[in-house]
Amino acid sequence: MNLNKQTKASSWQYLLIGIFIFYMLLPIVSTYVFSVATRWDRTILPEGYTVSYYIQAFKASYFISSLRNSFILSIATVLVGLVLIVPTVYWVHVRIPYTKPLLDVLMILPFGIPTVVLALALVQVYNFAPLARSPVLLIGAVVIYSMPFMYRPVSNAIQAIDVVTLTEAGQSLGANTFQLLRRVIIPNILTGIWSGSLLVFATVFAEFTLTKLIVGARFKTFPMLLVEYTRINGNTAAAFSVISFTIAWLASLLILWVGSKGQVPYQKAIGAR
Amino acid sequence: MAYLELKNVSKQFGNVIAVHDFNLDIEKGSLVSFLGPSGCGKTTTLRMIAGFEQPDQGMIRLDNADITAVPPNRRDIGMVFQAYALFPNLNVGDNVAFGLEMKKLPKKEVNQRVTEVLEMVRLSHIANRYPHQLSGGQQQRIALARALAVQPRVLLLDEPLSALDAEVRVALRAEIRRIQSQLGITTVYVTHDQEEALSISDKVVVMNNGRIEQVGSPESIYRQPQTRFVATFIGTANQFIGKVHDEHSVECEHIRLQVADIRHFSKGEEVVVLVRPESVQIQFEPTQKPEWNLLEGIIETVTFHGAVTRIGMNVHDQRIVADITYSYATPISLGQRCWLTFRTESCQVMGVEK
Amino acid sequence: MTSIKSRKRNITDLFGVVPFLLFCLAFEIIPIILLIRGSLIDKATKAFTLKHYLSLGTPLYINSFWNSIKLSGLTALIGCILGTLIAYAIYRWPSIKVQHALVTLSDVTTNFAGAPLAFAFIVILGMNGVITQILLRYFHIQLYPKLSIYSFSGLVLAYVYFQVPLMILLVIPAFEGLKKEWFESAQSLGASNFQYWWRIGLPLLMPSIIAGLTLLFANAFGAFATAYTLVESQLSLVTLQIGFMIAGEVRHDPGIGMAMSVVSLILMGLSIGLYQLSTRRAKWLVRSSS
Repeated sequence: MNLNKQTKASSWQYLLIGIFIFYMLLPIVSTYVFSVATRWDRTILPEGYTVSYYIQAFKASYFISSLRNSFILSIATVLVGLVLIVPTVYWVHVRIPYTKPLLDVLMILPFGIPTVVLALALVQVYNFAPLARSPVLLIGAVVIYSMPFMYRPVSNAIQAIDVVTLTEAGQSLGANTFQLLRRVIIPNILTGIWSGSLLVFATVFAEFTLTKLIVGARFKTFPMLLVEYTRINGNTAAAFSVISFTIAWLASLLILWVGSKGQVPYQKAIGAR
Repeated sequence: MAYLELKNVSKQFGNVIAVHDFNLDIEKGSLVSFLGPSGCGKTTTLRMIAGFEQPDQGMIRLDNADITAVPPNRRDIGMVFQAYALFPNLNVGDNVAFGLEMKKLPKKEVNQRVTEVLEMVRLSHIANRYPHQLSGGQQQRIALARALAVQPRVLLLDEPLSALDAEVRVALRAEIRRIQSQLGITTVYVTHDQEEALSISDKVVVMNNGRIEQVGSPESIYRQPQTRFVATFIGTANQFIGKVHDEHSVECEHIRLQVADIRHFSKGEEVVVLVRPESVQIQFEPTQKPEWNLLEGIIETVTFHGAVTRIGMNVHDQRIVADITYSYATPISLGQRCWLTFRTESCQVMGVEK
Repeated sequence: MTSIKSRKRNITDLFGVVPFLLFCLAFEIIPIILLIRGSLIDKATKAFTLKHYLSLGTPLYINSFWNSIKLSGLTALIGCILGTLIAYAIYRWPSIKVQHALVTLSDVTTNFAGAPLAFAFIVILGMNGVITQILLRYFHIQLYPKLSIYSFSGLVLAYVYFQVPLMILLVIPAFEGLKKEWFESAQSLGASNFQYWWRIGLPLLMPSIIAGLTLLFANAFGAFATAYTLVESQLSLVTLQIGFMIAGEVRHDPGIGMAMSVVSLILMGLSIGLYQLSTRRAKWLVRSSS
């Protein structure tokens, strides 16, 4: 058998990949079907279909406000993350490259801190008004937690464009640091920025632990509403789940689309260099 | 008696014909190069000999046995790749020992054989190092040692020097040839570098578009190219296109060239006359010598190449180059009128379609 | 103008990263340091003490750690083995398009954790779940109470769901890093498929597989939302215990929560450290080949 030349997948591959796809899709597909099924516990396929759970879901108290809260939290996190991370990554690459290992460590650190531990630490330290258990504290926590998702694409994009040469070229044409960032650097790493932002948006939109533990019921987000309903009403919870999946799918698709769009001019720029 | 034979071998990838009806006999103990531009099918042919690709048609015979269907790990053929391909998780000694261990040889014999081949490539002192600690040249010598350790029946080298610096390339080339003739191992060497092929081989196979253009000794490939492709791919050649006028001359657009005997062409047949730059001489008076062609031109470029200087001339709007040993006594200036001249016997004539 | 590369290390340049550092200090580093300090101090007397750590010796907490380690270790191991096998199947798949689609599927599903995932598993395997009922009615297989989605075994099923695709994403690049020349060299030296994988392929993949295993362990150990939605308080896990302490649902000395947190941080630190080491070793191997 030749390892490199396989024109057809073998049966063990079909079996393994088949099981994998089945396992990955079954829970998701079932939830979609469950959210429109009248009754689905006696037959292989549902006995009937309805949209009434969605109507219930839309009418649920907190539906609008929790969606709004989730959007506020996600967008605020993206914005704070952008302002904090993009200039820092740029600065480290161009001015103080010897500190890059430190930046890498800082960016992997959140992976090593369980979210509950971060929540506990923050709640203990900031136990005074107005920060205590406030949405502002939550944004701080969520920015830390989602930092690696922003850092990786932005850092990859900056590494791909030879930022030092671009900066020198810009400087020799008389641009200051702010003009450089706005006119030269950011337009060239836009793909990375978009990927990072969408990734952070999707992650934070689904965030439950920090929100639940830091602010609790006073700032109800969409995942909190979903968890609440899993215990009250399964059908409505299914409708919420579907909405949540759909937002995640959309974000993933956008990330893929941005990634594929960015690829072409990117490669061209590298070729031209 | 041929040791390695390829008979009517063809290979197609999708719609692309990689190798077409390839026939070749390789003598035992000789070094044969496959030379050609990238995509000419030389590597595919080599990989079919190794067993990594299956020919669509044809047969490969080694030592009078058909090996076409034998899997690569039972062919007893050593291979050296362009990218060294040493196993990064094994040190030099273990890399070289790998093939011997596959043969389940006793430990003592393995060690002895490893020492032997490492000495042969003069790298015994680095047996405990890992590939990433070696230079490219060292890695390639280890790859050679690894392939030779198992005493294969045939050694295949796929552009083994292309990833190396110029200096290392020349040194290692000589080393490969030394070891090859010392062991007398039948070797196929793939390269796109004509200088490499001409300097190392007993026989050169020039390939283009999946077909053999010419097979011959390095000298005959250079001196008597059989096709226009060979003439232009190996070295440089000036080309004049014209029609056969009589058995000793070709009528081109502005000139009539005297050539050696071309009786085998019919009158009026379209042909191309090829002249190597080193056969062309330059003079500044129109003195016609018998058996020499004389053409008038204007000097356009003068490029110093060390041993020779290449002069580019405009001859009736066609660019002709001549390699001359430049002496400072004869000043050459751009735009100067000159006469170029070459012997009738240095003109190689071939049909245009070739 | 001086070139950026040749510029001397300039202290003032360091000020450019001050806002970022301050943010990390305020929301991450200082709180964690204070947490560690808090775990070692008696709240009443303000004196140094190890009593919080000693309290972790009670069955409740030992049990939490044991459950968490068991759950993370088991799902990391399952995820690691299945993920590597599936990654191999993807790597050997003849169509690039299919490969691409499967990697994308892994990318999407591994991020699909937490409450929606937990609920999806309730839909299929809950007490009245679709599969539970189908198995019961058509195949007369009674899942409950032997296998319950609200128990340890259920958590294993749900965690494996995001562990497998994560492993695939981590190990696919390692498969792609295997050069075909290595395989061909081994072959021409007389090695069989198995001999190649045993002597060359697996040793080269090993660092990436171990890196994957450690990251999967950390990933499961720190998870909260999935477990919270599924088992709530029916199964004691470290993250659940800490969570309940913050929410004030359980009256306890916060010092114990801090001590639990510190022990978790040490475990996570160890696995992330191992991950970094293995990743470096993997890069070292790949670099050495070029």
